[in-house]
Amino acid sequence: MKRIIYLLALVLPSQILADWQVNMPRGVTPTSEIAYDIHMLMFWVTVVIGVLVFGAMIYSIIYHRKSVGHQPAKFHESTKVEIIWTVIPFLILVACAIPATKALIMMEDTSDAGITLKVTGYQWMWEYEYLEDGVNFFSKIDNKSNNARRLNSGKDVNNVENYLRNVDNEVVLPTDTKVRLLLTASDVIHAWWVPELGGKKDAIPGYVNELWINIKKPGVYRGACAELCGKDHGFMPIVVRAVPKLEYEKWVSLKKDNRVAESQNIGR
Amino acid sequence: MSNYKKTYVTLSSIVVFMFFFSYMLVPLYDIFCEITGLNGKTNQERIVDLNEKPTNRFVTIKFTSTVAGAGPFDFEPLEREMVVEVGKVYTTSYILTNQSNSLKQVTASPSVVPGAEAEYFKKIECFCFTQQEINGLETKELPLQFIIDDKLSSDTNTLILSYTMFNTTDQLGAK
Amino acid sequence: MSTNVQDIHEDHHHTPSGLMRWITTTNHKDIGSLYLWFSLLMFFVGGFMALIIRAELFEPGLQLVVPGFFNQMTTMHALIMIFGAVMPAFVGLANWQIPIMIGAPDMALPRLNNWSFWILPFAFTMLLSTLFFDSGGPAAGWTLYPPLSLQGGNSMPFVILSIHLLGISSILGAINVIATILNMRAPGMTLMKMPIFIWTWLITAFLLIAAMPVLAGAITMLLTDRFFGTSFFTASGGGDPVMFQHIFWFFGHPEVYILILPAFGIVSTIIPAFSRKKLFGYDSMVYATASIALLSFIVWAHHMFTVGMPLAGEIFFMLTTMLIAVPTGIKVFNWVATMWRGSMTFETPMLFALAFIILFTIGGFSGLMLAMTPADFQYHDTYFVVAHFHYVLVPGAVFAIIAAVYYWLPKWTGKMYSESLGKLHFWLTTIFVNLTFFPMHFVGLAGMPRRIPDYPVQFADFNAIASVGAFGFGLSQLLFIYILYNTLKRDVTAEDKVWDGAEGLEWTLSSPPPYHSFEKAPRVE
Repeated sequence: MKRIIYLLALVLPSQILADWQVNMPRGVTPTSEIAYDIHMLMFWVTVVIGVLVFGAMIYSIIYHRKSVGHQPAKFHESTKVEIIWTVIPFLILVACAIPATKALIMMEDTSDAGITLKVTGYQWMWEYEYLEDGVNFFSKIDNKSNNARRLNSGKDVNNVENYLRNVDNEVVLPTDTKVRLLLTASDVIHAWWVPELGGKKDAIPGYVNELWINIKKPGVYRGACAELCGKDHGFMPIVVRAVPKLEYEKWVSLKKDNRVAESQNIGR
Repeated sequence: MSNYKKTYVTLSSIVVFMFFFSYMLVPLYDIFCEITGLNGKTNQERIVDLNEKPTNRFVTIKFTSTVAGAGPFDFEPLEREMVVEVGKVYTTSYILTNQSNSLKQVTASPSVVPGAEAEYFKKIECFCFTQQEINGLETKELPLQFIIDDKLSSDTNTLILSYTMFNTTDQLGAK
Repeated sequence: MSTNVQDIHEDHHHTPSGLMRWITTTNHKDIGSLYLWFSLLMFFVGGFMALIIRAELFEPGLQLVVPGFFNQMTTMHALIMIFGAVMPAFVGLANWQIPIMIGAPDMALPRLNNWSFWILPFAFTMLLSTLFFDSGGPAAGWTLYPPLSLQGGNSMPFVILSIHLLGISSILGAINVIATILNMRAPGMTLMKMPIFIWTWLITAFLLIAAMPVLAGAITMLLTDRFFGTSFFTASGGGDPVMFQHIFWFFGHPEVYILILPAFGIVSTIIPAFSRKKLFGYDSMVYATASIALLSFIVWAHHMFTVGMPLAGEIFFMLTTMLIAVPTGIKVFNWVATMWRGSMTFETPMLFALAFIILFTIGGFSGLMLAMTPADFQYHDTYFVVAHFHYVLVPGAVFAIIAAVYYWLPKWTGKMYSESLGKLHFWLTTIFVNLTFFPMHFVGLAGMPRRIPDYPVQFADFNAIASVGAFGFGLSQLLFIYILYNTLKRDVTAEDKVWDGAEGLEWTLSSPPPYHSFEKAPRVE
């Protein structure tokens, strides 16, 4: 009987967790992985401290209560104890700060990037410009989501595929390539964030910020603007499609051809 | 009572000081930015004495541009990329076209990436932070002359210069 | 400036009655009550806005409000709760408690005290009236980041003026608190013999005096940027929007401790009283509070790790922020050591104080996680942050305020509240507060940004739970109103020393205390 309960206890949460994502995604870039590792490290550190502190508290609440006839002790200070619980947390923090600092140094090193993607935030869409290839386009929320999201739209958003997570023009990036993102904005501050590709950075009008990603696994990754940027802040998703290098090059040349064709059309 | 008075005077002076301190943060912040290259702020003053010291070290400079707001402009670098020798003077320019029919006031703000190296991107002639006028449908070439300081860190082999063009016509009209 | 003591005695002869009594009062208890009632009103106004937010977020898709109005609600909810509910509640407690805890007849500056309260209703009327403007109220978040806040409609100058008024009110209140504590203590009460609540308020008052003028400066710059052609924060004129964030958070982080240090003082008062044991490590509590306050001035940039700081800045602000965990930890350990081998009973104030320790510590844990810059790049501006600061502000600051009210209400009114209703209030509040805010950790980690009126369907379940919790929490507070009403109406008088384990001068006074608390200063040994 006991075994079954243990089994249930093991199986049930993991099943629920599969449906209800409760943790940070580990992601597919070196930066997202290291952020996840630091996150989990701190999580377990706080869990251990929490168990100790709350454990002592609950023990005290159960056994040192008046209703069980416990008489109050007289002690109310101890320099020795105070020093212990100053020094030990301090050492724990130092131990946590070392990997975090190492991670930061790695995250901030944008040198040797293969391609440069400039991202410009607008109210309320993104513009992408591939600096080396001269390809650029705007990317905004797809029509299906955009129609369903209106107040009293009469549409059930649960039936919209990738509701609020889909765009008209996806960003395509090569895998296993260090991509340097240049972030800026045209009007107000935005922030470009795809959780599975690592942290976010603010896009600030008049200034350029940088962020690098190196996607290890092909796939479609979805994110959104993370800095309040006005009324449609919640409606400027980001979709990144990561493809192998060869496929990426094909995509770029196709985009370039389209561009040439378009300008010829305009010329006529 | 003098005790009270001392308390009030001290506390009120702290309040007044802290208010002005918030304004003092503005120049302090600029100094801080220049030292650390925060936000890719570049030296806003132009370098006067040209001190060319070719080093035979080459770096790539990428140029990019942004039009702020819904400015009716086309604003592009003349060259997207240049390979330059550290310590030598180069000239390039940005092309600005006013797509509207009316006179516009504009101003451009530069930003260099990586921010920590921004101070080594020295501009001899530049169009930053100066108010410019541009007639309707006019196209202007905005020249830029720069030198890369030989103190540029050896890890850096790419610098990116970005200009953002702001339409300041309305602000001036409002004055 | 030398009128303070005379004022008090003049009052003897002409105390107006009715409404005029409250408008003209210079009595610390009357003003304390005004502050507390006002903050309770604002708590419900801000809470109503929170319920609009949670109702909209109950399920994906927009059902009730348009995004622009949603943003006004998040902005106003924060401004009202911070400046209207929590801060005035602490000032109210300070007004009631400081004179009767240090053995003084009244506050040092009674007339100033009157003004600093009566500024508030005007400031909040102005702030709330902006919601009825055609262009709506402020919608750029309570942090008012430019350039977005500069885009705002006509409400902006009104919002800034009302924040100025709130700042003036807090500064006047803080000057009063410091002047009272430094000059009016009973003979024999040295600084290191002061009740710990007085210590935390003294330090808070200094934080207010140092931080509020910086906020005033920042919003004045915003105002001149918008209307007088300066460009502190606009890139086109050589300004920098990020500089606003630096100045704002230079105020903002001390502000965070303004909202929590008095709560530490309250919990440090209540835990010993119901453990029947002296506070463990009084000296270290004082030093820890002071060092938290000092550290709060060098950690501000941890609110803005994603703006693109130089590496050295990111490391510096990460380390200083982590350092704050040390004095905060000392406080928690001291509270546990105070309970340890005590003789505990669990009346309502104690229950709220115990819940404070556990839930505030959970908020502290997520704070420690947020301090780690590499992970913060993921957490920043998500619901994880929302969960964090609500854990330290609701079961933190608000629980401490409620605990303080239950603890001192019998003293203030001379009537005992209903213990069973109080306990019911506690359990409802505690269950619903966790139901509301705990799921926010999950959606935040899973990638839900904050300040959005609508969200992808994957976040639906936890948002629905949080919304149910929020309505439960809101409704439970109606019970609190009933308990207050019931206490005043019922016929159960409180003793002078309401709690057998409580210590302090306030318990030597009658319940309720006389109009002028200590006519003759008591001696403290």
